[in-house]
Amino acid sequence: MTARMAAVAAVAVAVAGCGGVQSVLAPAGPGASRISELVWILMVGTIVPAAVVIALILYAVFRGRRGGGGPRVGDTRLIVLGGAVLPGLILLTFSALSARYSAEVAVPPSPPAFTVEVTGHQYWWEAKYPDHGVVTANEIHVPVGQTVRLHLRASDVIHSFWVPRLHGKMDQTPGHTNVWWIQATEPGVFRGQCAEFCGLQHALMALLVIAQPPAEFDAWIARQRQPAPAPADPIRERGRQVFVEAGCAHCHAIQGGHVPRFTGSVGPDLTHLGSRRTLAAATIENSRELLRAFVVDPHVFKPGVRMPATRLPAEQLDALLAYLATLQ
Amino acid sequence: MPRPETPIDARLASVWATDPGFYGWLTAVNHRAIGLRYIATAFVFLLLGGILALVMRLQLAGPGLAVLTPGGYNQFFTMHGSTMMFLFAVPMLEGIGIYLTPLMIGTRDMAFPRLNAFGYWVYAIAGVTFYVAFLFGTAPDGGWFNYPPFSGPGYSPGAGIDFWVTMITFIEVAALVASVELIVTVFKQRAPGMSLNRLPLFVWAQLVMAFMIVFAMPPLMLVSVQLMLDRVIGTHFFNPAAGGDPLLWQHLFWIFGHPDVYIILLPALGIVSMIVPVAARRPMAGYTLVAMAIVALGFLSFGLWVHHMYATGLPVLGMNFFAAVGMMITIPSAVQIFAWLVTIWRGRVVMTAAFLHVIGFLVLLIMGGITGIMVSAPAFDWQVHDTYFVVAHFHYVIVGGAVFPIFAGLYFWFPKVTGRMLSERLGRWSFWATFIGLHIVFFPMHVLGFEGMPRRVYTYLAGLGWDGMNLVSTLGAFVMAAGILLFLVNAVVSLLFGARAGDDPWGGNTLEWATSSPPPPYNFLTIPVVRSRDPLWDETAAEHEGWVTSNPQHPRRDVMVTTLLDAAPDHIDLLPGPTIWPLWAAVGAAIAFLGSMIHLLLVPLGALIAVVAFVAWLWPPREELPA
Amino acid sequence: MSRRRVRHAELPRMVQGHGETVWWGVVFLITIESMVFASLILSYFYLRAGAPAWPPDGIAPPDLLLPTVNTFVLLASVIPVAWADRGVRTGNAVAVRAGKLTGQALLLVFLVLKVVEYSGYDYDWETNAYGSIVWTTTGFHVAHVVVALIKSSVVLALSWKGYFNAQRFLGVQANALYWYFVAGIWVPIYLTLYLSPRVL
Repeated sequence: MTARMAAVAAVAVAVAGCGGVQSVLAPAGPGASRISELVWILMVGTIVPAAVVIALILYAVFRGRRGGGGPRVGDTRLIVLGGAVLPGLILLTFSALSARYSAEVAVPPSPPAFTVEVTGHQYWWEAKYPDHGVVTANEIHVPVGQTVRLHLRASDVIHSFWVPRLHGKMDQTPGHTNVWWIQATEPGVFRGQCAEFCGLQHALMALLVIAQPPAEFDAWIARQRQPAPAPADPIRERGRQVFVEAGCAHCHAIQGGHVPRFTGSVGPDLTHLGSRRTLAAATIENSRELLRAFVVDPHVFKPGVRMPATRLPAEQLDALLAYLATLQ
Repeated sequence: MPRPETPIDARLASVWATDPGFYGWLTAVNHRAIGLRYIATAFVFLLLGGILALVMRLQLAGPGLAVLTPGGYNQFFTMHGSTMMFLFAVPMLEGIGIYLTPLMIGTRDMAFPRLNAFGYWVYAIAGVTFYVAFLFGTAPDGGWFNYPPFSGPGYSPGAGIDFWVTMITFIEVAALVASVELIVTVFKQRAPGMSLNRLPLFVWAQLVMAFMIVFAMPPLMLVSVQLMLDRVIGTHFFNPAAGGDPLLWQHLFWIFGHPDVYIILLPALGIVSMIVPVAARRPMAGYTLVAMAIVALGFLSFGLWVHHMYATGLPVLGMNFFAAVGMMITIPSAVQIFAWLVTIWRGRVVMTAAFLHVIGFLVLLIMGGITGIMVSAPAFDWQVHDTYFVVAHFHYVIVGGAVFPIFAGLYFWFPKVTGRMLSERLGRWSFWATFIGLHIVFFPMHVLGFEGMPRRVYTYLAGLGWDGMNLVSTLGAFVMAAGILLFLVNAVVSLLFGARAGDDPWGGNTLEWATSSPPPPYNFLTIPVVRSRDPLWDETAAEHEGWVTSNPQHPRRDVMVTTLLDAAPDHIDLLPGPTIWPLWAAVGAAIAFLGSMIHLLLVPLGALIAVVAFVAWLWPPREELPA
Repeated sequence: MSRRRVRHAELPRMVQGHGETVWWGVVFLITIESMVFASLILSYFYLRAGAPAWPPDGIAPPDLLLPTVNTFVLLASVIPVAWADRGVRTGNAVAVRAGKLTGQALLLVFLVLKVVEYSGYDYDWETNAYGSIVWTTTGFHVAHVVVALIKSSVVLALSWKGYFNAQRFLGVQANALYWYFVAGIWVPIYLTLYLSPRVL
């Protein structure tokens, strides 16, 4: 229990840096930044009149207790002015602003460089880059300064894609494809979380969006396009066999032809498992120890996920992990 | 203070009295008995829902805690929301309405007393069944609005969601029944002279609320039945693989759901409109504007529902239309706030526990209202939708905007209902604990939402910056709980030992203060003739000219029916007395619905019992049938 | 200061018709039920808007002959019921009984033809969303027809006991009102389910 909590805490710290990694008010892209402008306008624009009205009410109560008097203006005029006309003007302004900002951030600020198809599953994110021939999970890389179009889908129940520092959220509804976009204007690691209740582990369905300078992004794409290498020694070959025999291949795909494909996308594609910073949808850090513990029993970290526990003799488990370690 | 016994009084009392004993309790149809049952039952559900919330807050007090399992937490938040929205808020306000409306309009009972009783039994059965399911581990766990496909047969195969649908259906029936009654009673049974422009503002609010229920609940009825059909007999309303659409649920649910929150808010605003003039000791300023604002709120509330669906990918143009309506609905609320402000300012306020709650309500409603303006903007909502910011918003407007007026109303009318005064001192302690506690619980949630914390999460990772605020929020929950507990203590102690209240301890202006505390079974000795909006302020109690003499020879219960606009006397209506058939009808309906989850044969059995009970209910009494 | 004094004893008892509270109650019941049907029709058009073809999956649009005949049967049943409603106000017990019985007979014909129509469907509520909405909508309406039959049987029984007369006819009137609703609400359902797939 303590070890798990520590593991869980570690990933958040590693990703968070100094906090605010998931903050709406720390924008790192044009979508979130435009929205945060509207946030400040509406907050100040409503808090000020509200404070005035509350002050008036408290004044009226205490003044009224002393009796007599009251405003010299007629009742109807006061109520219509304060209750309808003034709020009406303020709200009309807000409606116009809201319409402008909403229309603006709904469309990409520049033509998208490429598309990423993000499909929500219970409780992980499938990410495909059709323009690049890349399939990955739970960690999406984007080039800094370029708009990326998103096709948001869901395979089972409703999920919602949300990376607060980059943009507002958009639902993933079964039977629909929602077109959205993100852009990061600075390099960094941005955390997101599923924002529509999707079941037992909705709370731990998070993802990382990693913005890199274009050259680094291209390098990442190039590595992701590589199929998994063939096992280079007998232990790793043994591990590959265990991967198939223990049933892992029934849910997880590994590109490269060394592992037979079954259904493929019940669980994340593991071809480049080692290149990811986290496991289990940004729940725990991707280290050998934690990967081992997760494989043995995922329910210690995420009770209720569809992946079953894997009971293997130590020799087979070691071989399996050795094989998984080659999936960089 | 009981009135001196006169022959008229004794005869009326014997005609209108409830039968004695347990059987008498089961057969009662008097509106005050039914109203009190609604209030007491709803209060129990407030406490149950509150306990669920306390446990939820314990689970979230720190990252990675295991007070509840993930599945357990999901059940708790579903039960909490469903309890508060369906089993507490609407029934409590309906109960207050059922109790007070006939008194305020000067009649002896509501138009359909047996239907009233039926509504209560259906509600009670719904609530009990819901919690029994919880105790047996089959609670729903998809949130209080249970979106499919998660709530559908593929992802929630257990019986939990079925119990939720059953509870919803029963609550709807109870609410619809109470609404029809309220409308007909207010339209037809007002005291002579109480034209529509003299209607107490609480009654205006109840009337509009009732109309809203008539139009808003049927879509919920249909969509919940559609979910049940998907789950039980394999229809595909929400299954995209067969031509269905999960968004159909969202549209129909929120077409009900948004008016629902105004169904809760309007009577609460009505309560405030009754307390403010009495506290300020002057008539309500801007009565006509307030009445119009109440009606406007009713209409406008049907044009907002899409704001619950901003993140679903609908066209931006359509969303901007709903956003504009959402912003505009602030205006009728602001009109009412200014009307209260002016009334208070011009008056000479007497501070009581009831009025203290009104002031707290005003502050909280305004705070919740401005966050409502913020989230009605699609772009703003795209960041805070489904986060703790929204949780903060709706708790401010519902707890602040509805629960505080409910407590204010309880303080205000407790003397009338029980004949005893609540302790003012305990009332102030209770207010401050609840008010301050509320801020401690919910204010940090605005920040949590901005820091990226989504709703409906059984835990969160450390290092995201959420720990401190969650802990503060949890501590605040116990402060709030203490406040509510203090009210309970106050009520029990005052019931037993409180100072005796006269007919009119606050110097009230409306008709309920013109009869004894508690009122006799027949409400008023003579039906009053009303000449203004504030009948008790415009004629002294000693002048009884113009009061209608009742006809004591009639062996049955009768009420006067008046015309719709001007309330001119029209005719006499005979009302039924105590009867057991509404209970049997409710039991039959319950067996039919619940039976569908246990064994299909129970459905026709239950239906048969219900049909027999309805026929027996409607069958004319023996003396009316020709020999 | 007016001194209006109204004597209870001078007011009439239990006026029938529009003034009566029960009449209002039935009107609101009809309003509520109409809102449910409206939601069903809304669901139909919503599901249609999201479908590439309608009816989907190669299902043919519903036959028109039998349902149209049945529509006339249902609307025709209103006539004897209206006769009963009119007749009871003049104390014409024959009109009440004959009218209700004729109306009930026509409802039974409607139900039989419905069963024939249903047996001709090659899809049911489990086939797809189209089947779900069609069967649910017509099924809900059939339930209303059955309820109308039961209610009018109770009214008939009371009529046979001589309960209704020119001063006391609210039960007949309320039953007739509900009947008009059950017949009338079928028209938008018919237009939606049977005509709109061919016309729109």
